[in-house]
Amino acid sequence: MTFCPQCGTSNVDNAIVCAQCGRNLQPAAQVPPLQAPGTVIPAPGAAIQNYLVYAILTTVFCCLPTGIPAIIYASQVNTKLQLGDAAGAQAASNNARMWSWISFGLGLAMFLCYGLVMALGIFGSLHRR
Amino acid sequence: MLARQKSITLAASLLAFALAVILLRAFDPATSTLFPPCPIRYLTGLYCPGCGSLRAVHQLLHGNLHAAWAMNPLSVALFPFVAYGLVCEAVFYWRGKRLPQLTLRGTWIRGLCAAILLFGVARNLPFHPFDLLAPGALLKF
Repeated sequence: MTFCPQCGTSNVDNAIVCAQCGRNLQPAAQVPPLQAPGTVIPAPGAAIQNYLVYAILTTVFCCLPTGIPAIIYASQVNTKLQLGDAAGAQAASNNARMWSWISFGLGLAMFLCYGLVMALGIFGSLHRR
Repeated sequence: MLARQKSITLAASLLAFALAVILLRAFDPATSTLFPPCPIRYLTGLYCPGCGSLRAVHQLLHGNLHAAWAMNPLSVALFPFVAYGLVCEAVFYWRGKRLPQLTLRGTWIRGLCAAILLFGVARNLPFHPFDLLAPGALLKF
Protein backbone atom coordinates (compact mmCIF):
# COMPACT_ATOMS: atom_id res chain seq x y z
CA MET A 1 0.00 0.00 0.00
CA THR A 2 1.34 3.45 -0.86
CA PHE A 3 -0.12 6.75 0.15
CA CYS A 4 -0.33 9.63 -2.23
CA PRO A 5 1.95 12.40 -0.94
CA GLN A 6 -0.47 14.99 -2.31
CA CYS A 7 -3.95 13.93 -1.17
CA GLY A 8 -3.19 11.01 1.19
CA THR A 9 -5.37 8.48 -0.67
CA SER A 10 -4.15 4.90 -0.32
CA ASN A 11 -3.20 3.26 -3.62
CA VAL A 12 -1.95 -0.20 -4.61
CA ASP A 13 1.80 -0.71 -4.20
CA ASN A 14 2.86 -0.41 -7.82
CA ALA A 15 0.39 2.31 -8.81
CA ILE A 16 1.86 4.76 -11.28
CA VAL A 17 -0.53 7.60 -10.57
CA CYS A 18 -2.88 8.32 -7.66
CA ALA A 19 -6.38 6.99 -8.26
CA GLN A 20 -7.84 10.05 -6.53
CA CYS A 21 -5.85 13.06 -7.74
CA GLY A 22 -3.70 11.66 -10.54
CA ARG A 23 -0.36 12.60 -9.00
CA ASN A 24 2.66 10.66 -10.23
CA LEU A 25 3.47 7.99 -7.60
CA GLN A 26 6.59 6.49 -9.21
CA PRO A 27 9.89 7.63 -7.73
CA ALA A 28 11.58 10.24 -9.86
CA ALA A 29 13.69 8.77 -12.65
CA GLN A 30 17.21 8.05 -11.48
CA VAL A 31 19.34 11.04 -12.36
CA PRO A 32 22.85 9.85 -13.14
CA PRO A 33 25.23 11.31 -10.53
CA LEU A 34 27.40 14.08 -11.87
CA GLN A 35 30.45 12.71 -10.16
CA ALA A 36 31.82 9.20 -10.26
CA PRO A 37 30.72 7.14 -7.24
CA GLY A 38 33.20 7.18 -4.41
CA THR A 39 34.33 10.75 -4.90
CA VAL A 40 33.68 13.07 -2.04
CA ILE A 41 31.46 15.97 -2.92
CA PRO A 42 32.70 18.89 -0.83
CA ALA A 43 30.07 20.75 1.15
CA PRO A 44 29.49 24.21 -0.31
CA GLY A 45 31.71 26.73 1.40
CA ALA A 46 33.98 24.07 2.85
CA ALA A 47 37.60 24.99 2.32
CA ILE A 48 39.54 22.54 0.18
CA GLN A 49 42.80 21.84 1.93
CA ASN A 50 46.11 21.99 0.11
CA TYR A 51 48.23 20.25 2.80
CA LEU A 52 51.08 22.66 2.05
CA VAL A 53 52.27 22.55 5.66
CA TYR A 54 52.87 18.81 5.50
CA ALA A 55 54.50 19.10 2.09
CA ILE A 56 57.01 21.66 3.36
CA LEU A 57 57.50 19.73 6.57
CA THR A 58 58.45 16.54 4.73
CA THR A 59 60.57 18.23 2.05
CA VAL A 60 62.55 20.63 4.18
CA PHE A 61 62.44 19.13 7.65
CA CYS A 62 62.61 15.43 6.77
CA CYS A 63 64.79 15.57 3.64
CA LEU A 64 62.28 13.65 1.54
CA PRO A 65 61.96 14.20 -2.22
CA THR A 66 58.37 12.86 -2.10
CA GLY A 67 57.40 16.21 -0.60
CA ILE A 68 58.02 17.90 -3.97
CA PRO A 69 54.93 16.41 -5.73
CA ALA A 70 52.93 17.31 -2.62
CA ILE A 71 54.01 20.96 -3.01
CA ILE A 72 53.15 20.94 -6.72
CA TYR A 73 49.67 19.53 -6.01
CA ALA A 74 49.23 22.06 -3.21
CA SER A 75 49.93 24.85 -5.72
CA GLN A 76 47.39 23.29 -8.12
CA VAL A 77 44.73 23.32 -5.39
CA ASN A 78 45.12 27.07 -4.94
CA THR A 79 45.33 27.78 -8.68
CA LYS A 80 42.16 25.78 -9.38
CA LEU A 81 40.32 27.38 -6.48
CA GLN A 82 41.14 30.78 -7.96
CA LEU A 83 39.71 29.65 -11.28
CA GLY A 84 36.57 28.37 -9.56
CA ASP A 85 37.29 24.75 -10.49
CA ALA A 86 36.16 23.06 -7.26
CA ALA A 87 36.27 19.51 -8.65
CA GLY A 88 39.79 19.97 -10.01
CA ALA A 89 40.90 21.54 -6.74
CA GLN A 90 39.45 18.60 -4.81
CA ALA A 91 41.30 16.13 -7.05
CA ALA A 92 44.58 18.02 -6.57
CA SER A 93 43.87 18.16 -2.84
CA ASN A 94 43.44 14.37 -2.74
CA ASN A 95 46.78 13.97 -4.52
CA ALA A 96 48.49 16.40 -2.17
CA ARG A 97 47.15 14.42 0.77
CA MET A 98 48.25 11.14 -0.78
CA TRP A 99 51.83 12.38 -1.32
CA SER A 100 51.92 13.79 2.20
CA TRP A 101 50.97 10.38 3.56
CA ILE A 102 53.52 8.63 1.32
CA SER A 103 56.18 10.99 2.68
CA PHE A 104 55.06 10.38 6.23
CA GLY A 105 55.11 6.60 5.75
CA LEU A 106 58.52 6.72 4.11
CA GLY A 107 59.91 8.91 6.86
CA LEU A 108 58.50 6.65 9.54
CA ALA A 109 59.82 3.52 7.81
CA MET A 110 63.26 5.10 7.51
CA PHE A 111 63.26 6.17 11.12
CA LEU A 112 62.27 2.66 12.25
CA CYS A 113 64.93 1.06 10.02
CA TYR A 114 67.56 3.40 11.45
CA GLY A 115 66.35 2.66 14.97
CA LEU A 116 66.54 -1.08 14.30
CA VAL A 117 70.06 -0.86 12.85
CA MET A 118 71.22 1.25 15.79
CA ALA A 119 69.62 -1.11 18.29
CA LEU A 120 71.23 -4.13 16.59
CA GLY A 121 74.56 -2.34 16.60
CA ILE A 122 74.35 -1.57 20.31
CA PHE A 123 73.19 -5.09 21.05
CA GLY A 124 75.99 -6.55 18.93
CA SER A 125 78.69 -4.50 20.62
CA LEU A 126 77.37 -5.50 24.05
CA HIS A 127 77.36 -9.13 23.02
CA ARG A 128 80.93 -9.10 21.77
CA ARG A 129 82.35 -7.93 25.06
CA MET B 1 34.65 10.75 14.04
CA LEU B 2 33.97 9.91 17.65
CA ALA B 3 35.04 12.58 20.12
CA ARG B 4 36.91 9.98 22.16
CA GLN B 5 38.85 8.68 19.18
CA LYS B 6 39.61 12.25 18.24
CA SER B 7 41.04 13.09 21.66
CA ILE B 8 43.18 9.95 21.63
CA THR B 9 44.61 10.77 18.19
CA LEU B 10 45.26 14.36 19.16
CA ALA B 11 46.79 13.42 22.52
CA ALA B 12 49.05 10.82 20.83
CA SER B 13 50.17 13.35 18.20
CA LEU B 14 50.88 16.02 20.81
CA LEU B 15 52.77 13.49 22.95
CA ALA B 16 54.91 12.38 19.98
CA PHE B 17 55.53 16.02 19.11
CA ALA B 18 56.49 16.91 22.68
CA LEU B 19 58.83 13.89 22.83
CA ALA B 20 60.47 14.95 19.57
CA VAL B 21 60.97 18.51 20.89
CA ILE B 22 62.43 17.26 24.19
CA LEU B 23 64.83 14.87 22.40
CA LEU B 24 65.83 17.54 19.89
CA ARG B 25 66.56 19.99 22.70
CA ALA B 26 68.49 17.48 24.79
CA PHE B 27 70.60 15.92 22.02
CA ASP B 28 72.44 17.77 19.29
CA PRO B 29 71.94 15.96 15.95
CA ALA B 30 75.40 17.23 14.95
CA THR B 31 77.09 15.03 17.57
CA SER B 32 74.48 12.48 18.60
CA THR B 33 73.64 9.30 16.70
CA LEU B 34 70.10 9.34 18.03
CA PHE B 35 68.73 10.95 14.88
CA PRO B 36 68.88 9.30 11.47
CA PRO B 37 71.06 10.95 8.83
CA CYS B 38 69.48 12.61 5.81
CA PRO B 39 68.71 9.76 3.37
CA ILE B 40 69.81 11.81 0.36
CA ARG B 41 73.11 12.77 1.96
CA TYR B 42 73.61 9.18 3.08
CA LEU B 43 72.91 7.68 -0.37
CA THR B 44 74.38 10.29 -2.71
CA GLY B 45 76.75 12.36 -0.58
CA LEU B 46 74.95 15.51 -1.70
CA TYR B 47 73.25 18.05 0.50
CA CYS B 48 69.50 18.16 0.06
CA PRO B 49 67.48 21.35 0.64
CA GLY B 50 66.58 20.07 4.09
CA CYS B 51 70.05 19.05 5.30
CA GLY B 52 70.81 20.73 8.60
CA SER B 53 67.15 21.24 9.52
CA LEU B 54 67.28 19.08 12.63
CA ARG B 55 70.50 20.77 13.74
CA ALA B 56 68.87 24.13 13.01
CA VAL B 57 65.82 23.25 15.12
CA HIS B 58 68.13 22.08 17.91
CA GLN B 59 69.90 25.45 17.83
CA LEU B 60 66.55 27.30 17.68
CA LEU B 61 65.35 25.41 20.76
CA HIS B 62 68.45 26.76 22.52
CA GLY B 63 67.81 30.28 21.23
CA ASN B 64 70.86 30.38 18.95
CA LEU B 65 69.37 31.99 15.89
CA HIS B 66 72.77 32.61 14.29
CA ALA B 67 73.86 28.98 14.57
CA ALA B 68 70.45 27.80 13.35
CA TRP B 69 70.65 30.13 10.34
CA ALA B 70 74.11 28.76 9.51
CA MET B 71 72.79 25.19 9.51
CA ASN B 72 69.90 25.78 7.14
CA PRO B 73 68.66 29.31 6.38
CA LEU B 74 65.74 27.96 4.35
CA SER B 75 64.26 25.88 7.13
CA VAL B 76 64.77 28.72 9.64
CA ALA B 77 62.90 31.05 7.29
CA LEU B 78 60.06 28.56 6.80
CA PHE B 79 59.93 27.53 10.45
CA PRO B 80 57.40 30.18 11.64
CA PHE B 81 55.01 29.34 8.78
CA VAL B 82 55.19 25.62 9.40
CA ALA B 83 54.78 26.08 13.16
CA TYR B 84 51.70 28.27 12.69
CA GLY B 85 50.34 25.89 10.05
CA LEU B 86 50.62 22.98 12.44
CA VAL B 87 48.82 24.95 15.16
CA CYS B 88 46.05 25.69 12.63
CA GLU B 89 45.78 21.99 11.76
CA ALA B 90 45.57 20.97 15.41
CA VAL B 91 42.91 23.60 16.17
CA PHE B 92 40.92 22.59 13.11
CA TYR B 93 41.12 18.94 14.05
CA TRP B 94 40.10 19.58 17.64
CA ARG B 95 37.52 22.37 17.28
CA GLY B 96 36.64 22.28 13.58
CA LYS B 97 37.51 25.95 13.52
CA ARG B 98 39.70 27.56 10.88
CA LEU B 99 42.21 30.04 12.19
CA PRO B 100 43.00 32.86 9.78
CA GLN B 101 45.43 31.48 7.25
CA LEU B 102 47.66 32.92 4.63
CA THR B 103 46.34 31.72 1.27
CA LEU B 104 49.13 31.78 -1.26
CA ARG B 105 48.49 32.00 -4.96
CA GLY B 106 49.34 28.80 -6.84
CA THR B 107 52.18 30.53 -8.66
CA TRP B 108 53.72 31.61 -5.36
CA ILE B 109 53.71 28.03 -4.13
CA ARG B 110 55.38 26.92 -7.36
CA GLY B 111 57.91 29.70 -6.80
CA LEU B 112 58.55 28.37 -3.32
CA CYS B 113 59.05 24.90 -4.78
CA ALA B 114 61.55 26.28 -7.29
CA ALA B 115 63.34 28.18 -4.50
CA ILE B 116 63.63 24.97 -2.45
CA LEU B 117 65.07 23.05 -5.41
CA LEU B 118 67.46 25.88 -6.36
CA PHE B 119 68.64 26.13 -2.77
CA GLY B 120 69.33 22.40 -2.88
CA VAL B 121 71.45 22.83 -5.99
CA ALA B 122 73.22 25.98 -4.82
CA ARG B 123 74.44 24.57 -1.53
CA ASN B 124 76.23 21.75 -3.34
CA LEU B 125 78.23 24.07 -5.58
CA PRO B 126 81.82 23.83 -4.37
CA PHE B 127 82.84 27.45 -4.98
CA HIS B 128 82.38 30.77 -3.22
CA PRO B 129 79.85 32.14 -2.27
CA PHE B 130 77.64 29.05 -2.66
CA ASP B 131 79.84 26.93 -0.42
CA LEU B 132 78.56 29.11 2.45
CA LEU B 133 75.12 27.54 2.06
CA ALA B 134 76.34 24.09 3.09
CA PRO B 135 75.21 23.17 6.61
CA GLY B 136 77.36 24.90 9.21
CA ALA B 137 79.60 26.75 6.75
CA LEU B 138 78.42 30.16 7.95
CA LEU B 139 79.47 29.32 11.51
CA LYS B 140 82.98 30.51 10.72
CA PHE B 141 81.73 34.08 10.52
